[in-house]
Amino acid sequence: MESHNIEKLLEDYFEGSTTLQQEAQLRDYFMGDNVAPHLKEYESMFTAFAVASEETYDRPIVLPKQQKPRYRFMASAAAAVIVGLVIWTQGTQVDNRISTNYENEEVAILKTKQALGMMSQMINNSTTQLDVVEEFDKASSTLFK
Amino acid sequence: MDQHSFIKLVNPFKDKIYRVAKRLLVSQDEAQDATQEVLLRLWTKRSKIKEYRSVEAFAMTMTKNYCYDKLKAKGSNNLKIVHNNYEDHSGNTSKHIEVADEVAWVYKLMEDLPEQQRLIVQMRDVEQMDNAEIAVALQMNETAVRVALSRARKKLREELIKKRNYGIS
Repeated sequence: MESHNIEKLLEDYFEGSTTLQQEAQLRDYFMGDNVAPHLKEYESMFTAFAVASEETYDRPIVLPKQQKPRYRFMASAAAAVIVGLVIWTQGTQVDNRISTNYENEEVAILKTKQALGMMSQMINNSTTQLDVVEEFDKASSTLFK
Repeated sequence: MDQHSFIKLVNPFKDKIYRVAKRLLVSQDEAQDATQEVLLRLWTKRSKIKEYRSVEAFAMTMTKNYCYDKLKAKGSNNLKIVHNNYEDHSGNTSKHIEVADEVAWVYKLMEDLPEQQRLIVQMRDVEQMDNAEIAVALQMNETAVRVALSRARKKLREELIKKRNYGIS
């Protein structure tokens, strides 16, 4: 490339108005062997840029271990807490309603049956509520494969 | 995102992070630490990575911020940056030594530029990012990038011409 062409490009270059393509032309010119003597002082600049772009980061990338097990543990701990709460609240409610001082045996039997029925119903209720806990695992398994 | 896909994602620009950090921090060790730190921060933010239009631009911003913080801390400790990791050219011909010395001189001149200009020259002339990308990475507008770039290049030219004239006289 003729040197006056390069001079024009250089002028634009210092105004910051060259394109990346034009800058690549300049780099090619100054990295070549036919640099005009009066443009020699720019040689080191473009050589410096080209050399600098070849440096690499050679250290291995160190990342912390993934935290999957911890989330699992937290999910099961939360489930245990929920189960505990459900049993505790239901249990205290049942305790409040049952009185053991019945005069009639038949009434006592009926009441007991009723109470047992209520309890099994509540246990069924609470186990269906536990299905929600599974969502934790589903959500975390889509996030951390 | 697992580690494997994360490393695949950052591989194309990890060298760039390193070079940009080195341009600012000068020391090779510090630049390596900075790169590791930026990658680590990116890793902890990996669940949000999809929200960023360009992960690379985001990584560049993090690199800039990290290095600025480092430089600020250094300034307040009154520590002078010592650089001694220019390449060893022993064994080359004298012509090569001459060119290599001039190249080292250019790096030295770049060190004397204000931080922002240094970054912009690095990103534009070394990493060949366009002004729009630089503007995003540095949170500036494009015109400001162009003006700073022009100023930095002219400053380098001025110093190079000065040096040549001293050499003659």
